[in-house]
Amino acid sequence: MSHVEHHVSSIKLLTTVFGGLVFLTVFTVLTAQLDLGPLNVPLALLIATTKAALVVIIFMALKWDNKVNTAIFGIGVLFVFVFISFTLFDTLFRGDLTNTVEGTIQDQMIQEEAMKAREPASDAIQFNRTPQ
Amino acid sequence: MANTHSDHPAHLQHHFVSSEQQFDAAKMGMWLFLVTEILLFSGMFVAYTVYRSWHPEVFVLSSELLNPWLGGLNTIVLLASSFTVALGIHFAQVNNKKGLVINLVLTFLFALTFLVVKYFEYTAKFEHGIFPGAAFDPHGVSHGVDYAMYNVPYARQFFSIYFVMTGIHGVHVLVGMGLFTWITIRAIKGEFSSEYYTPVENCGLYWHLVDIIWIFLFPLLYLI
Amino acid sequence: MSESASGPINYLSHDKSIKSWLLTLDHKRIGIMYLIAVSIAFLAGGILALLVRVELMAPGETIMSADAYNQAFTLHAVLMIFTFIIPAVPAVMGNFVLPLQLGAKDVAFPRLNLASFYIYLLGACVALGALVVGRVDGGWTFYTPYSTSVGDGILYITTGVFIMGFSSILTGLNFIVTIHKMRAPGLTWNRLPLFIWSIYATSIVQVLATPVIGITMVLLFLEKFLHIGIFDPALGGDPVLFQHFFWFYSHPAVYIMILPAFGIISDLMGTFSRHQVAGYKFVALSSVAIAFLGFLVWGHHMFVSGQSAISSTIFSLITYLIGIPTAVKVINWVATMYKGSVQLKTPMLYAIAFLFTFSIGGFTGIMLGVLAIDIHLHDTYFVVAHFHYVMMGGNVIAALGGLHYWWPKMTGRMFNEKLGKLAAALVFIGFNLTFFPQFIMGAQGMPRRYYDYLPEFQSYHLWSTYGSWVLGVGLFLILGYLIASLINGKKAGPNPWGALTLEWTHTTTPPHPHNFTETPIVTRGAYDFHLAKDLFAKGGEVSEVPSSAK
Repeated sequence: MSHVEHHVSSIKLLTTVFGGLVFLTVFTVLTAQLDLGPLNVPLALLIATTKAALVVIIFMALKWDNKVNTAIFGIGVLFVFVFISFTLFDTLFRGDLTNTVEGTIQDQMIQEEAMKAREPASDAIQFNRTPQ
Repeated sequence: MANTHSDHPAHLQHHFVSSEQQFDAAKMGMWLFLVTEILLFSGMFVAYTVYRSWHPEVFVLSSELLNPWLGGLNTIVLLASSFTVALGIHFAQVNNKKGLVINLVLTFLFALTFLVVKYFEYTAKFEHGIFPGAAFDPHGVSHGVDYAMYNVPYARQFFSIYFVMTGIHGVHVLVGMGLFTWITIRAIKGEFSSEYYTPVENCGLYWHLVDIIWIFLFPLLYLI
Repeated sequence: MSESASGPINYLSHDKSIKSWLLTLDHKRIGIMYLIAVSIAFLAGGILALLVRVELMAPGETIMSADAYNQAFTLHAVLMIFTFIIPAVPAVMGNFVLPLQLGAKDVAFPRLNLASFYIYLLGACVALGALVVGRVDGGWTFYTPYSTSVGDGILYITTGVFIMGFSSILTGLNFIVTIHKMRAPGLTWNRLPLFIWSIYATSIVQVLATPVIGITMVLLFLEKFLHIGIFDPALGGDPVLFQHFFWFYSHPAVYIMILPAFGIISDLMGTFSRHQVAGYKFVALSSVAIAFLGFLVWGHHMFVSGQSAISSTIFSLITYLIGIPTAVKVINWVATMYKGSVQLKTPMLYAIAFLFTFSIGGFTGIMLGVLAIDIHLHDTYFVVAHFHYVMMGGNVIAALGGLHYWWPKMTGRMFNEKLGKLAAALVFIGFNLTFFPQFIMGAQGMPRRYYDYLPEFQSYHLWSTYGSWVLGVGLFLILGYLIASLINGKKAGPNPWGALTLEWTHTTTPPHPHNFTETPIVTRGAYDFHLAKDLFAKGGEVSEVPSSAK
């Protein structure tokens, strides 16, 4: 029987990576307590991505695995980005046509309530809603 | 079909030519399955991204109610379980049955710990009326936090997403615990060796993915 | 081939007990079980379609109430899409043919394969539970907020769809691994039959897209029962977001439906033109290109949903792009026939019919991808006609061609060729008669799904209904002579069509339970007829299996 040797990761390597992951976890909790302005979100995501990459490459041994499996994983991740970005093309630019409104029906109701509170007598304030 | 050849190991199914082919096929199948898991979760990440982009201030406010220390603890618990799985595979590869079994049992215990912590987190939320969906009604004061303050429009969406994401993730942890029970029993029976450890490897891959999902859930829900 | 009294051992005869069927791990038997299951689904969905057409013969009530009509067309759609057309070609012909064409003994994971069949059955039964509970009348798309505000029937359908999704995923996963890992020696990617290439592309879509319908159904379910407020506008949710979720799966899903059909047509074109399929590599890779591009166009279902204009524009542009790989295929099929020596057997008639009907379906798809035109045509019968030209004129006609093509291999019997040709003609005429008038009335403004309509549309509806009867007669004729062939059909040789792919050249008819008694070694491409002169010594009709297959 033909037998190809599988890669065996050393305990030392696994332990080092685990240590790194714990360090990054503590690091991300601590940095989240600071106010870094607009940098908080990208930093947290960057750390998470680094951690995920460590798990995928070392723990899941993708580094030594068949290239096809890397491609499969990459395609999966790619399509998550496709899903998110193409949906955002809509939701971030919702209301860029003159015949539609931004936000949800609830948003409009909230605004309507606010205006009515300011001007209780008026029944005329309505946003794009047919009178009921 | 020849099935009693001396060079024909017991685990080799008849339609494969070699153990190597069988191992590669099983592993590739597992990676494809992981991709389906990633895309399953992607739906929830899309919902999160969309609502966060619409109401960032609500998400920042609502995430204050989640305890980053408990979440961080759970993150480390899951990372540790990933570490023990990786060690388990290492021991299977070097024919160390004892090391394999110990690490599988540890993994199971870490998974259990994760769910226990999650249970306390959930009940603490339920006590203050933070439920997914229609029953959402934050109230009460504890540790100097007035929950009613968090009853703002779209907080319901944040917590719905929180409960759905962590809930489905929790279901995956439960499934993983079942898998590790099964694998541990087989390992104790001595079914695995450096020649054949495919089920350990594949359960390990699954478990690492559950870990990776949490690695992203944690900062998105608890920290930012 | 030894024609002794019992004949050589084959997968049908070696064990005839019911248990051996229900617990079989043999991909061929699983394929046959799928064939029976999807045929029943097709029959049920087809009868509903005929009833819907009868109801629409005249304005106002004809045979059923408006409520019954809404439920009938919804159930027709759900049955046809989720229980018939998605598993039809991949699960039936993919299962039966794919390992044979690869020279493999089975798929990579036979147990998973059987499991996916039973998961499919379970899902179908759960979905049909909606029949008992009643009132599922919102169409197959489950748009919120309507779907979350009507009765509990939706619960069964969404759960059923969720379960059937698993079946689809497992089948796709199984096929991808099989194609990667189980090819016979010498069967390089460039020698693969084009059916394999298209099943490969289909499987990619199944694996990548189906999980999203799973999570969508879970969220819809939670929206209905917990009111989580993700999709329900009254709670601050966004119904258009539901449409994104739904179409992220359901647009690629139409490629799950059409890509395997492309593969069948490629095989038929090569075999019955006795010629290398023109532009083989382009045809092969265009399947993969369609699979990937198919993920980037879902928003073209939502041009009038209120999504942003920028995203409509992007989705519209990418929609045009899909026309390129599709045209590559159609042009190469025509070129194959032009250079080959065409044999007009029944399967080939379906392939040629496909060229007409699918091209019409494809072109009208491009029209609907144009933003301005879509505003006019959205939710009219034009759309109904378009997708029936693609789904029925594409998938079903190709599936019928494939069924006739592989029927002798599956059953060991030939069907009646004359009746086959007659039925093909009836299906072609009936189909066009049914759906072409729908283009015209759609363009004139007849909305889809309506129970009642203005009298000026009646003549089109009438023609459409007459057409559905012709189509029905054709389909029942096929059912009749195929069943008859099981009883008194002529025994088929191993390679009655003179094809070059492994299932014809290296197996007996019907195949051995383990497919091949010796692993075949492949030395030429799937359509290299110029390298296979030895097979055609007796003038086209090939009856001998080479000695290697015994």
